[in-house]
Amino acid sequence: MPGLRLESVGNAVLAPLDLTLAPGEAVAVLGPSGAGKSTLLRIVAGLLPHRGRVFLGNEPMTGRAPHRRPIGYMSQDLHLFPHLSVAGNLHLPLLFTGLSRAERTARVAQTLKTCAIAHRATRRPAHLSGGERQRAALARALVRGPRLLLLDEPFSSLDPTTRRTLWREFDTLRRAAGMTALIVTHDPEEAAALADRTVTLRAGELHEERTTPPCFSSTTRRCAAC
Amino acid sequence: MRALSLLAWAPLALIVATILGALAALALHLPLATLTAALADPETHFALALSLRTSLAALLIALALGVPSAYLLARRRFPGKAVVETILDLPMVTPPLVAGIGLLFLLGRDGPIPALGREMLFAPAGVVLAQAYVATSVVTRSARAAFGAIDPGFAANAGTLGLPPFWAFLLVEVPMAGRALLSAAILGWARALGEFGATLMVAGATRFHTETLPMAIFLNIASGRTDVAIACALVLLGLAFALLLAIRLLAGERADPMTEAPDARLAA
Repeated sequence: MPGLRLESVGNAVLAPLDLTLAPGEAVAVLGPSGAGKSTLLRIVAGLLPHRGRVFLGNEPMTGRAPHRRPIGYMSQDLHLFPHLSVAGNLHLPLLFTGLSRAERTARVAQTLKTCAIAHRATRRPAHLSGGERQRAALARALVRGPRLLLLDEPFSSLDPTTRRTLWREFDTLRRAAGMTALIVTHDPEEAAALADRTVTLRAGELHEERTTPPCFSSTTRRCAAC
Repeated sequence: MRALSLLAWAPLALIVATILGALAALALHLPLATLTAALADPETHFALALSLRTSLAALLIALALGVPSAYLLARRRFPGKAVVETILDLPMVTPPLVAGIGLLFLLGRDGPIPALGREMLFAPAGVVLAQAYVATSVVTRSARAAFGAIDPGFAANAGTLGLPPFWAFLLVEVPMAGRALLSAAILGWARALGEFGATLMVAGATRFHTETLPMAIFLNIASGRTDVAIACALVLLGLAFALLLAIRLLAGERADPMTEAPDARLAA
């Protein structure tokens, strides 16, 4: 059973493409600006109409509303809700999960701790640093325990040191949870650090697939040259 | 240089002085004892009570109709949208008397819905109708600007986090537009409180029946009872000042409703 399967998925921007992710596999989508990378993620998240079919495991997602998909999506702009604290941003996705308030509070606390942002739980997004905002957005995407994680240029606006730290932390976290992930980036180094496999989108077409470059250690997920 | 600097302040000083001058002239026109008696007059009390009741009812109608309409206008594209938006703005630029005549003919004996007209015309319900007519336009326009300023990506993101569209609207977009929506409501309420022309046409000017504060000013000036007219004018001014001050005070940050956490900046 695949983690994610796309069959002839496309729209006005994206040529029909097929892509399969194994359960627990992370695939990076590389490509220049305007290639359709974010469009692909938005289609999988259910935010854009499209042709073709999307499956999560064997479950068809096509035509299913975004809020009914067991997916965690972290957009490039993060879109942390400014009127809520970091903890509030994590509480909101749990409102319709059937968990009691105590269970929600415990889940939020655990996720904040896992993403190393618990010390900023009461802060509003406007009062966080760039790295803290990324951690908060990642925690929010993870809090419902999604089966698939969609990350759009997740750490693009950070300084190199913070980026590498977050790459390592995210990779460890994702592997521990066995989570399937589709990650959009324009940075080959980021793709190699976060993903098991890389595909390239150019002018709306899927051009090549390759595995992580050998310079990246399979255990530390770090480039020997970094 | 100093003369130039003084010159730059002159227009502002002139505007403020004119407003304060008019207010002071109004407030100081009557001896304090006469003013106090006029403020205690049953007619002033009736006008104040009717104004508050009708304007609040009009505000509720304006919010119920204006907020969803504003959201639709801010988020959806449809053929003829520019024409619809222009029509919605019309009540703000049309003289209220003209709007009142239109409503009178619409609901009158020869209009398409005379049955409704029998209930509303020259009755307190007509006051509500006239006030709602102008307040809805103000609320819709302000709320549309409020929703338009919010990146639709927030609602889309809320959807991917498991929030159904209605709840994403209620828990994300409405709070994000919260202060602007509250300002829209206050502006709409202020406009309803001060409505005169359309009310005169639709509800008439009958003492102790359709006598709102502006109507009381009109009736008492016309009949020479300037004391009650001035008392009503001062009450209207006081209400308008309080409403405008409320808008200014809305700048304060509120606690997070999801966690009831104290303001993070204070805690930090």
